Amino acid sequence: MDILVSSIVAGVLIGMVLALVALGLTIIFGVMDIVNFAHGEFLMIGMYTGLLTAQATGMDPLFTLPVAAAVGFLLGLLCYVGFVKFLLRGPMVAQLLGTFGLMLFLRNLALLIFGSEDRALHHGLLVGKSFDLGMGVIVPATKLAAAGLSVVAFLAVWLMMNRTKVGKALTATALNAQGARYMGIPTERMNALAWGIGVGSVTVAGALIVNFWSVNPFVGLLFTMIAFAIVALGGFGSVPGAFFAGLVVGIITEIPGIWDFFTYTLNWEWMAKVPMTSFKYTFVYLAYFIIMVIRPSGLFGWRH
Amino acid sequence: MEALKSAFDFSDFPRSDLIVAGLGALFILLFPLFPHSSFAMATMIQFLMFSLYGMGWNTIGGYGGQVDLGKAQYVGIGAYTTAVMLIRWDIPFWISMPIGMCFAVIWSFMIGYPLFRLKGHYFAIATIATSLVLLDLFQVWDFVGAARGLEISPIKYSPPDFWRLIFKEDIYYYYVISGFFFVGIFYINWFRNSRLGFQLRCIKDNEDVARSLGINVHWAKIKTYAIATAFVSMVGSFHACYIKNIEPEDTMSLDISILIALMAMLGGAGSLWGPIIGAGVLIPLKSYLKEWLGARAGLLGIDLIIYALIIMVISAVEPRGIWGVIERIRGKRGK
Repeated sequence: MDILVSSIVAGVLIGMVLALVALGLTIIFGVMDIVNFAHGEFLMIGMYTGLLTAQATGMDPLFTLPVAAAVGFLLGLLCYVGFVKFLLRGPMVAQLLGTFGLMLFLRNLALLIFGSEDRALHHGLLVGKSFDLGMGVIVPATKLAAAGLSVVAFLAVWLMMNRTKVGKALTATALNAQGARYMGIPTERMNALAWGIGVGSVTVAGALIVNFWSVNPFVGLLFTMIAFAIVALGGFGSVPGAFFAGLVVGIITEIPGIWDFFTYTLNWEWMAKVPMTSFKYTFVYLAYFIIMVIRPSGLFGWRH
Repeated sequence: MEALKSAFDFSDFPRSDLIVAGLGALFILLFPLFPHSSFAMATMIQFLMFSLYGMGWNTIGGYGGQVDLGKAQYVGIGAYTTAVMLIRWDIPFWISMPIGMCFAVIWSFMIGYPLFRLKGHYFAIATIATSLVLLDLFQVWDFVGAARGLEISPIKYSPPDFWRLIFKEDIYYYYVISGFFFVGIFYINWFRNSRLGFQLRCIKDNEDVARSLGINVHWAKIKTYAIATAFVSMVGSFHACYIKNIEPEDTMSLDISILIALMAMLGGAGSLWGPIIGAGVLIPLKSYLKEWLGARAGLLGIDLIIYALIIMVISAVEPRGIWGVIERIRGKRGK
């Protein structure tokens, strides 16, 4: 029983972080209909930012979030003004090609600067500690803190989107860019802002993830795919959808643990033979495929 | 007969194109006679392989406008069919290649049917997802060597073995793949003026209009997807015999899918010469940059940074790719 509960708890916790990863993608997609393949690379940059700031200043890694947010915001603005703005004029093919180029560029720039070896955090207030939640469920403190802070960051962005004037302008641009322009909303600036917020939130997620995940320049792709799955599940452009879908995908990544539980309880020989851990992310991709085919607007989608 | 005639009919191209293409073909045929390094030879084989991949991609991605980013799964199916059949049952290449193509086409029908209900970005990402699922499956499947992959040891055979396509010298591989290359060009030349080719271009321009004209849009896309798949799987089979050592990470990774799509898009999707130009520019650039900057100067990744910058500039400035730049220059001169 405790395997089942701890798998689900672990899934929910990682799901909260993954929701924050997907938030940036869904905002950028919602506002300007562009699929950003470089999303995971921004996460990687966030991870390096968190790691290097913590190592250089000796701060606790959890306090590096503002630095990561600032770096991400500026990077997002820069990417939009310097590059993505020109892509938006072209057809979809050019946008795919362009964000792929951006992905390759960022990944290999990181490879050139940081080298290909794995790096991980070894110090910090919470590293190595764990909490006992009862029922035999033991959670690493870093994951718990990352999940909690992700929810806070997610809520902050959600409140900004819904309660402030700028956020409402952003949502209006997402719903109908032309209409928003007629209403006097500077949509060009809103696009830039969406990139700033989108990239900023994903670098924050990166700085949280680096607490319990080692970083190398190639880490991004996995998260890009997971973020796509979450965004598809939640509905492209839907912010609350991204949160719930994040939790679902988090639990999907813990299917191997759940499978183990059933193997022990049912005691079926063949179940033990399936190499479930290798399929950890396969289920995420499969879920993406199935959801897209059955319900292209996602589970909570408000727009196709 | 009619189909053959239209395959060899290049009369709708301007004469300058044909002269350049003829010189290019002559160069490809005569290249091994010039003094060359083995590195240049390997680059040329890569170029021919990737132009074939690109031509396959171009049918669905270029003429049909459906951006497919999951071609690597078909490279894998082709390569694994050939390798498994050769190693386990000693079935030669020329028999296993068509079988591999059949497997790939069957798989493409199975996933193509649901896939083509999606459009645009959704379709592109879903193709990546299917490719990654297949990659994960191959990595744990013991029958095909799991993550270690398969190795064709040339010692068992007596090269040159034309039947099994096991050679010691690259020049044999070169002529086999250039044979495929020319067949590929003639096939695509037929395809672009075939009924399906016109239907696809209509679908690309406006799907609703295409449907109102009585074109079965879904079925046309699936058929073209199968054609693209057959191309890619054929070269995948060749890849298995040429590289001799196939691992899921090398043959089926997302990088291969991206590279295939990039070549065609960069060269100019939707034109006959586009994928060839794209491969002709990118493959030598990639291998020589890697050789000069990556391996010699010890700068990891700088080759791909330059490569990525070129991709970014092209996509921002001229979305139709290198062919678009050529046509623009030609249009200016025409005025």
